[in-house]
Amino acid sequence: MATNINWRTINIDALDPDSSTNFDLTTLTPAVQPISTAEVQTLSGQIRTLVRGGNAEGALMGALENAPYGADDQGKALHLGVVTEVLGQIRQAEMTPILQRIYQSDNGSELCDTLMKYLYKGMGQGHPATNSTSRNMTPQSTGFTQAGGRNFGGGEGGGQAMSVLLSWHEKLVEMVGPGSIVRVMSDRRTV
Amino acid sequence: MSQSLRPYLACVRQTLTAALSLSDFASQTSERHNVPEIEAASSPEVLLNPLTVSRNQEERVLVEPSINSVRVSIRIKQADEIEHILVHKFTRFLTQRAEAFFILRRKPVPGYDISFLITNFHTEDMLKHKLVDFIIQFMEEVDKEISEMKLFLNARARFVAESFLTPFD
Repeated sequence: MATNINWRTINIDALDPDSSTNFDLTTLTPAVQPISTAEVQTLSGQIRTLVRGGNAEGALMGALENAPYGADDQGKALHLGVVTEVLGQIRQAEMTPILQRIYQSDNGSELCDTLMKYLYKGMGQGHPATNSTSRNMTPQSTGFTQAGGRNFGGGEGGGQAMSVLLSWHEKLVEMVGPGSIVRVMSDRRTV
Repeated sequence: MSQSLRPYLACVRQTLTAALSLSDFASQTSERHNVPEIEAASSPEVLLNPLTVSRNQEERVLVEPSINSVRVSIRIKQADEIEHILVHKFTRFLTQRAEAFFILRRKPVPGYDISFLITNFHTEDMLKHKLVDFIIQFMEEVDKEISEMKLFLNARARFVAESFLTPFD
């Protein structure tokens, strides 16, 4: 039985409870209230009604104030979908005034950080970590490969949604500075 | 520069500027060692949240910060199989000469074409804004380079095919 185990490749640090590898990360995470997916769903319903009523700014504020830090992955994905939807609804010219009003409201800095988190999360979404299948060489039976006219790994898909997020990012950084990005990196409460 | 490239590069620039605040940090697992924590991953508390900046499905940058090192991975645009081969050859050429580039990582992170690893020693030796400029410039140049190579390759292939088929004319 033991003959198959290569003892040299075992990471002994992982087995030592006192090792820094097993540092308890929960001590660094601020206490967040667990939120069920159903609650996130009702919240997103309310936000969608606000958007449909033409109050995109109120919807964005509401979505950022009630960011579900305690939700599971499904709930977070749901809320991210709502936030990106709201961001997509707002026109380019309205972005800066809305951001300024959000920033000047009470704990506006906090809201801007949350928005920054959603921008990065939104950009990280929409593609699998590795899509090796679509990048494989697929020679045809003739031995030739057709260079053009083939949908090679999705191409420019999702470019529209990303450019919305990129222009939001540009305007937000212009206002709050790079400190907000640092807070996104270091905050253990992820959206 | 195309309309959507400018905000993309601006976003990468801001992200890198924010991520490149590194400090010296000795390894907590082995004494008298100093390793890039993002690679060793031996202390979960010093790893920060990774950030992704993407322009579309196929072009994106992954920035993985930690206390003493930042790993920047770039996925280069590949519209077809010729570009895929060209990108592979090009990045391979660079990574084989990784010592000369200091910050280049020998192997890209899975899902990306080329990776850079910047440690606190690099930011001490070199100017931070120049490092950021280097990566941005690389991203600008690589697209141009690949499309140029593709044009050249096509022209050459056409010429070769013509001269090969002339006797059968």
